Amino acid sequence: MPIEIKTTEYTLKIVVIAPQGRVDAFEAPTLRKMCEAYFESGVTHFVFDLSEVTMLDSAGLAVLVSVLKRTRQNEGEVRLVWPKHEAASRILKLTKFDQVFQSIESSQIVPKGF
Amino acid sequence: MRIAIVTTFPPGKGSLNEYGFHFVKFLQTKTDMVSEIVLFVDELPEGEEYSFEQSAGQIPVRAVPCWKFGAWDNVLRIRREVKKINPDIVLFNIQFASFAAGKVPATLGLLTPWAVRLTGVKTAVLLHNIMETVDLKQAGFGGSKIIESVIRLFGNIVTRFILKADIVAVTIPKYVDILVEKYKAKNVLLAPHGSFEEASEDVPASAPTGAPNIMTFGKFGTYKKWILMEAFEKLQPSHPTAKLVIAGTDNPNVKGYLDGVKNKFSHVPNIHFTGYVSEEDVPKIFNDSWVVVFPYTSTTGSSGVLHQAGGFGRAVVLPKLGDLEELVIEEGYDGEFFEPESAQSLADAICRVIDHPQRMLEIGSRNYLAANGLPISEVVDWYLIHFQELLNRKN
Repeated sequence: MPIEIKTTEYTLKIVVIAPQGRVDAFEAPTLRKMCEAYFESGVTHFVFDLSEVTMLDSAGLAVLVSVLKRTRQNEGEVRLVWPKHEAASRILKLTKFDQVFQSIESSQIVPKGF
Repeated sequence: MRIAIVTTFPPGKGSLNEYGFHFVKFLQTKTDMVSEIVLFVDELPEGEEYSFEQSAGQIPVRAVPCWKFGAWDNVLRIRREVKKINPDIVLFNIQFASFAAGKVPATLGLLTPWAVRLTGVKTAVLLHNIMETVDLKQAGFGGSKIIESVIRLFGNIVTRFILKADIVAVTIPKYVDILVEKYKAKNVLLAPHGSFEEASEDVPASAPTGAPNIMTFGKFGTYKKWILMEAFEKLQPSHPTAKLVIAGTDNPNVKGYLDGVKNKFSHVPNIHFTGYVSEEDVPKIFNDSWVVVFPYTSTTGSSGVLHQAGGFGRAVVLPKLGDLEELVIEEGYDGEFFEPESAQSLADAICRVIDHPQRMLEIGSRNYLAANGLPISEVVDWYLIHFQELLNRKN
């Protein structure tokens, strides 16, 4: 008698977004639109690789926080690859969002990050 | 979570009432995180009362008038009401002169966050200015070197008490640096001011025509002096049709200031005093203006008016003052700058805007983008996320 096997498939949609250069009031709307499109396509987990971001201001951080809020509502998560540049990490420290976002190493992004 | 906010609120006319209004307006929409909002507000003159707009599905707001500007017992009265209502967290929307103009009642009022925290309720303070950057003479608290030193000493002590709150939020990066370095504070964070308006106004595509409309907005008399009127007088020969709109009222600490200005400059034509500007009239005041001028002679913390001007895509003229200049650069705004004590420098800066339509539009567009990069609706989310982290730690 053949063995009975039950299988369940889970699909976890994770997107890694790696902006480069400045993420400020002028570039933030583009990033926001991109994230919106991913939400609509069913993505629940986001990794923002900020290692090549040279400057992050409050408008740029606002995009990350809005994604964090929305993913939490969808039982998803946001993780950050920490910026190398002080001008990008400063706003995360000043706002204490460095203590809210979970950070990961670039090498851990997928799938170990989750 | 159940949130209480110690704040001024319209129709109350105390400073920060507008910030309180916009913060609460968006807090009401955060139904996923907030279940109840109570405002500990100042008592209104007889015949006036607090009322709240509430759309379907929004969180109801309840006002508890329990303190009075200038009273000595505000700390006890607020603490008593907090104990009665027992919210999860109390947010204080304050600056150094929120509770009184007099030194003693102002100091006693600023002990309230500490006194509330002693009840076991979590506390957060949004501190709009810090003692270290206030020019006491300009703010009307000076008088002599000895008095200034005494005030600074008390300011230092009061700051230490304020820092006993669970979270202290400030609106300018430099303030975080100062509080961390000087007081070794670990609970201070940056929460940018945010723009009041939703991103609904269109940036003007072409420069306005007709007579130049120069506008200034706020509460006048402490940091905002009559340098603007002197500059406007200097503009008369070259811009005889220009109009100067002084929108707002006296600062509560300097009653009668604007009447004095009216008398002193009664010989200068086309100066219009609007008096108190209600919320519904704010868009028109900004939209009619060509340029918004900040006639500050001293630092004042982050500027709500700058964010408002940005929200309406207006060009701005600003003093070269450390905090304000830093804020403008850090938050991506643009403007023409002037030397704070020079009316001629201010007149020149205004001309660089009103005589150059392209520059006016360029500044306005940039400010619009900067303001809309972080609306106050999102700043409210930042607070709620930090509050939730704090409450999770407690539990």
